[in-house]
Amino acid sequence: MVPRKHAKMVELEREDPMVDDEAMTDDEAMLGDDDSDNEDIESEDDSGEELQAEPSRKAIYNKERLLEKLEDIAWPENVDWMHKLTIDHDQGEKVDVNDDLNRELAFYTQALDGTRRAFEKLQSSKVRFLRPADYYAEMVKTDSHMHRIKGRLLSEKKKIEEAEERKKARESKKRAKEVQAEKMKERAKEKKESIESVKKWRKQRQQGGFAKGKDDGPDLNFEGDEGFKQSKKKRPGVAPGDRSGGLAKRSKQGKNHRSKDSKFGHGGRKGMKKQNTAETTNDFRGFNQRGESQNKKRKTF
Amino acid sequence: MAKKRKRSSDATAPAAVPKPDDSAPERPERTLFGFKDDSAAEPASKDGGPVGPFFRNKEKVLITCSRRIVYRYRHLMQNMVSLLPHAKKDSKVEAKQSKGSALNELVELRSCSSCLFFECRKSKDLYLWMVKSPAGPSVKFLVNAVHTMEELKLTGNHLKGSRPLLTFSSNFDQQPHWKLLKEMITQIFATPKDHRKAKPFHDHVFVFSIVDDHIWFRNYQISVPHNEIDKVDKGGLDKMTLVEVGPRFCLNPIKIFGGSFGGPVLYENPFYVSPNQIRALEKRKKAGKYATKVKAKVRRKMHEMENTLEPDEFADLWKGED
Repeated sequence: MVPRKHAKMVELEREDPMVDDEAMTDDEAMLGDDDSDNEDIESEDDSGEELQAEPSRKAIYNKERLLEKLEDIAWPENVDWMHKLTIDHDQGEKVDVNDDLNRELAFYTQALDGTRRAFEKLQSSKVRFLRPADYYAEMVKTDSHMHRIKGRLLSEKKKIEEAEERKKARESKKRAKEVQAEKMKERAKEKKESIESVKKWRKQRQQGGFAKGKDDGPDLNFEGDEGFKQSKKKRPGVAPGDRSGGLAKRSKQGKNHRSKDSKFGHGGRKGMKKQNTAETTNDFRGFNQRGESQNKKRKTF
Repeated sequence: MAKKRKRSSDATAPAAVPKPDDSAPERPERTLFGFKDDSAAEPASKDGGPVGPFFRNKEKVLITCSRRIVYRYRHLMQNMVSLLPHAKKDSKVEAKQSKGSALNELVELRSCSSCLFFECRKSKDLYLWMVKSPAGPSVKFLVNAVHTMEELKLTGNHLKGSRPLLTFSSNFDQQPHWKLLKEMITQIFATPKDHRKAKPFHDHVFVFSIVDDHIWFRNYQISVPHNEIDKVDKGGLDKMTLVEVGPRFCLNPIKIFGGSFGGPVLYENPFYVSPNQIRALEKRKKAGKYATKVKAKVRRKMHEMENTLEPDEFADLWKGED
């Protein structure tokens, strides 16, 4: 074999017959040739200076002998297609190797197109070529392997669904926040408006000079200390344990907050919370009024 | 290996064919002993006469691998065995200098007409020998991008031993070496018609496609709606879908030899760079990185020593003020 030299490399047309005479004539030892080729490669390692993009100049390309060999081994030309089952497919434009998706798509279309044409041929030649539904035979992949594949597919599907759900929840949470913000804004606005209206009313009243007496307008005596004093003794309708002093029930706050207020905050003794009052004794909300018949888990002795 | 029925024609054919000791262009006896038994068919085909009833494909493929093969490549080999019902598996062969002759003998012994030899080197690189025996030619490939059938991503399945459809991309017909490869692949990968292990239905398709001067292999299962066994449903061809079964690999041809497992080189891939070389280059690059760093450091030091800064005359102007 001619040792390759890579010191200088020139861009060559691939179609060029890169054959030199010595390559044509050499008749070498048939066997063990691959090993010498390996040595050749190793020697190249040392020399270095190799680029992948450029073709090596000394590469042998013996077209005549190749075609001769092809003729040697080829099946007779008019052999029945049923023996070969080959289909050629025109790929169209060049496929980019590094674009995985496109490349696989090209292979898939080649297979699909080839199969369609082959099936048309098979159909026209009236052979039985499709597997009947009740034909069971050994497959290339075992059942247990297919089971594993199925399990993987299912788990993948589940994963995707879960991710979708999480996404949805996140979205709805975001929206809920927005709605809440809107509400708060509205509330603030309302409050502002009401204060404004009270101010307005007061001004009007002042301009009127209090002449018309105390009867028009609400009876609000903010001035004296009396008005702000809470009467601690008389709290009608307030449970003794209610630390909010009954305010919790009236306020606009949320239910949760109200109940918490009545439990922990806003004055009053805590110890009273645990005592029954007339109201709580008459409150039957906590009981199951239909008796125990519904509760199956509960054991009756 | 199960015991094979010996056909008298099989037994005699290899003996009748002379060993390919030379690569003389004139070869009176065609060495395709696959259909050699009726020698009348051969000249008839040359004249363009009808050979159909006489032609019988008796291809047998020996599949072996070298010792110390990696499990991934071994699985690939086993996949090939399961895909080719006309294949015979043999025990591993030591990759020595003389493995060519040993393999030739083995192929003859097993009365095979072609061979796929998976050679693993450095437990990294897989080379595939595709050989027509006994008169050649043989091709040596570097195998890249191997995915075996066991991978769970490949979800298809098909009958074991059903005859595959072979699809080739059209650029196989453009150059002589691709033409030769196409013929070899057709003969090796096509399951012979009426082979005793073959099943009568077609439910998978092989893809051989040349992209970037590599041969890419894919195997797809065909699923098509049908009620009868000799006809696809109306519009069924449009509804046909393919599911990949595997394996996948990519063959990079290195050399084509005239004989089987050796002989005169007929083709050499000018773009081929061996994986050894690539690794060496990478290593050298890495080594170069450190060397340049050290060099730069030294250079800087030298520069600093040569051009020392002059002491600043105003350096201790404000010293006394504190």
